[in-house]
Amino acid sequence: MAKKLLMGNEAMAHAALEAGVRVVAGYPGTPSSEIVETVAKLRAAGIAHGVHVEWSTNEKVALELLFGASLAGARGLFTCKQMGLNVASDALMSLNYVSVRGGLVLVVADDPGPISSQTEQDTRRFAAFAKVPVLDPSTPEQAFRMIQAAFDLSERFHTPVIVRPTTRVDHASAFFEVADETFARPVPEEGFERDVSKWVIFPRRAYEAHGEINERLSQVADAFSSEEPFSSFNEVVEGPEGASDDPVFGIVASGISAAYVREALQMVEERAGRAHVKIPAYRFMQVGTPYPFPAQALSRFASGLSDILVIEELDYVLEDELAQLAGRTHASFNVHGKLTGEARDRGENDVDDVVLRIEKYLGLVGRLRLHLHEQDEDARTASISYEQASELPVRPPVLCPGCPHRGAFYAVKQALLKTPAVLCGDIGCYTLGNAQPLDAVDTCLCMGAGVTMAQGLSVVDPAKKAVAYIGDSTFFASGMTGLANAAYNGHDITVMVLDNATTAMTGSQPHPGTGYTLMGDQNEPLSIEAVLLANGFSHVYHANPLDKDASIVAVKAAIAYDGPSAVIFESPCIQLIKPDEPVSIDADVCTGCKKCITEIGCPGIGFDPLREGPRSGSRGQAFIDPALCNGCDLCVQVCPFKAITFPVPDAEFADLAEDEVFEVVEAEAEESLADAEFDETNEVEESYVDEASHDDGASADSYQGEEPDLSGFDETVGVYGLEDEELFLFDDGAGEADSAESDDDAEKAVAIEECATVALDPSELEEISAAKASEPDGPQSVDQEALTRRLVLTDELNIEEDLPEEGGQDA
Amino acid sequence: MLNVMLTGVGGQGTVLAAKVLAQAAQEKGWHVRTAETIGMAQRGGSVVSHVRMGNEGEEVQSPLIARGCADVIIAFEPAEGARMLPYLAPTGVLVTATTAVQPVTAALAKDSYRGSVVLQGLRDAFAQAPDQLVIVPDDELLERIGNRKVLNTVLLAKAIGTGRLPLDLDDLRSAIRACVKPAFVDLNLQAIG
Repeated sequence: MAKKLLMGNEAMAHAALEAGVRVVAGYPGTPSSEIVETVAKLRAAGIAHGVHVEWSTNEKVALELLFGASLAGARGLFTCKQMGLNVASDALMSLNYVSVRGGLVLVVADDPGPISSQTEQDTRRFAAFAKVPVLDPSTPEQAFRMIQAAFDLSERFHTPVIVRPTTRVDHASAFFEVADETFARPVPEEGFERDVSKWVIFPRRAYEAHGEINERLSQVADAFSSEEPFSSFNEVVEGPEGASDDPVFGIVASGISAAYVREALQMVEERAGRAHVKIPAYRFMQVGTPYPFPAQALSRFASGLSDILVIEELDYVLEDELAQLAGRTHASFNVHGKLTGEARDRGENDVDDVVLRIEKYLGLVGRLRLHLHEQDEDARTASISYEQASELPVRPPVLCPGCPHRGAFYAVKQALLKTPAVLCGDIGCYTLGNAQPLDAVDTCLCMGAGVTMAQGLSVVDPAKKAVAYIGDSTFFASGMTGLANAAYNGHDITVMVLDNATTAMTGSQPHPGTGYTLMGDQNEPLSIEAVLLANGFSHVYHANPLDKDASIVAVKAAIAYDGPSAVIFESPCIQLIKPDEPVSIDADVCTGCKKCITEIGCPGIGFDPLREGPRSGSRGQAFIDPALCNGCDLCVQVCPFKAITFPVPDAEFADLAEDEVFEVVEAEAEESLADAEFDETNEVEESYVDEASHDDGASADSYQGEEPDLSGFDETVGVYGLEDEELFLFDDGAGEADSAESDDDAEKAVAIEECATVALDPSELEEISAAKASEPDGPQSVDQEALTRRLVLTDELNIEEDLPEEGGQDA
Repeated sequence: MLNVMLTGVGGQGTVLAAKVLAQAAQEKGWHVRTAETIGMAQRGGSVVSHVRMGNEGEEVQSPLIARGCADVIIAFEPAEGARMLPYLAPTGVLVTATTAVQPVTAALAKDSYRGSVVLQGLRDAFAQAPDQLVIVPDDELLERIGNRKVLNTVLLAKAIGTGRLPLDLDDLRSAIRACVKPAFVDLNLQAIG
């Protein structure tokens, strides 16, 4: 048993495994993600035996799955972030009425600040709303003990139990001794036992169950007040050391704030000691079991106190409870906290703030010296401070260098130009598309809401194109029902699926579109395209977001369609792939126009006002930070002067001229077509695995139509199914300012016509048809004609951009 | 109590450096807590790791360092060091790399951000206490080592070299062996040399 440095999240994973957890499921969300990942790692390493662990498609799915496992007697662990519980709430509210069999523990990580979230909701409140007990750890060590206590509590009272850490517990580390091996508790031999009166919720049963819930909550509150280990989570200490009086000042804290208060009290005592100031006696309590509120323990705590200061984050939960307790017991203590303006009403607490609050509360203001280290300070007249702090560069989070989302956002902006549109964002790395200079996100609400908000906008504001972005993981988590709604109700929206083959923001977790599971299996990846088609999106385009011109064309084509349409941008997250060699800027060519920076805003490109070159004069020049650049080449395509260059040509095509490259690509596509077989009886069993989905988009793209028309392949045809004017309708009547762009677009149209080819991959069509045929209640006929369109665009589509219109030369 | 703050830009390797320090402290038998920035800020934002060590047998309560209490701040980027100065104890030491990471916001701005300006500002700030500022010419050093990835090890070695932490280079070597993937141990040990 070696001591290991574990984050709170890792510690909770170990604790659950040591408690014999059999099934672990959740959906990624900061700050909760590492719990499931740790279980998966320990299982893969052969340390955790007998556990099933998975990333479910969303939180509701995970919790329902775990409830099923619980009914068969297994211990289950659910994890999510605070908003994840909103998604799972439908299941939670009801399963509490049904009651659990095997212990069911929900770790719901709250995010005060918020640091990585949309809300500062408080899961302690949610627990009370759902009538589910909640434990609130102050340290990783306590989180470890609470997980184990939660499983026992859950089985003893047949209730789900929530453990609610916050970011500073999840992502704080301490050393732990953990078991060398863990074993899942065996499921009772009989497994699930049928009992309709118990496991099937009905109004009559719900009425009975409500009474049982009320009864057990009252028993749990008693246990929280007086039984171990719960009373140790509600520890009371008195101070300062050697105080002779009985305390009248009480301090109550929750979660990480309890650690801040402990430290703040030490500091205040030290400082008072140095200043020879006597501080009044106080009594401090951490409430680690906030719901059901341990009223007896708090009554004992409050005995003899005239005042109680409450330090907690997020909501004023303990403050409310104490005020109620005072009222109910006619106690005379005053409650101070958020509601009285004596604690921060939102955001995180910290030791600095708590020191000031406590000094004020204990009447010490002005009596202690300012600095915490004054024996040190005596040696100096002034502390060290950076004078120009306000001039330091701000660093909002940004898309990584080489992030494929950058290309997708840029393509959408370039395709739209001045066409009025609303760009509905969603949750994930791609929320960062809102940052300057991309500035390509107009709304962001919650998981999956981009697709659906766009529909509402399209209904009432049809003059603006309704565009929604959704990432691949979010797509499977909560995008699909919105797609069905768009098709069903006939909403004219265009969905930009940003498929980077992972759940990137939370640390690269797999999802149904990857097929890779936490049990180490590689299942068949679900096809985003097939889901779109099945949900009535007849116009689906593919694009490699790092191919600027092809992406712009795809976006134009999709938006031009009057009805639900989509572009699937496929390019893997940079965290998944080996970076290419960095590009470089030719100092002899760079004009210092800054277009590479003002257009795409890549962190790998900086600007040095002191650099000089023959074409930039004293304007300064852009530079590439080779430590950050991953060679995605988007900036190469954006630079109007071809000042940004590749280090070495792509090995495969190194010796070929541009048109020769096209020939090679075309030949490959033709070959793959010739190899494919057709079987209209739909009996082919081959699976549809879109292996090429993250290729460069050239060789494997396909068009699925009713009849494969091989003869059409060799010919250059227009973008299939689109009239030319459809492609460019945004510029119609857009005013004089746009006329130049229209001309430019017309030029592009010619190029597209010359270069775009349509290819067909018959195996895909068969698979989709087979899947539909096998569904008895599925659609009777599939509109094959309108199934999908994929654009094959070649390197020949390099259309010169206009010279930079603004800013650059004058900078 | 010893408080070490490591600050930089997401992706620079502060998390591993914090782990190595925590391991070194653990091997001394001290109580340790650390805290990390994980999440959205890792995408090119400012990140801070806190390492708190009870080197006199104390128990560490909060995982976060209070203002004015950091004995050492290790800055992987000069502006991030300047940003965290309010956390430096009056006698604390700032160890900072010189290489600037320019954020997009600065590249877009009229006046781009240059590390040399911030370094001068830091020299001014420490004018009365030059011994509390250690500027590490990381470009030069890492070029000599031939791998930028060991920036964290180089900065840790420099921080220990200030003598403000009751740890020596052997403690650092031992902690690296315990924390770093075996394939990279030698590279990191060479960086200390």
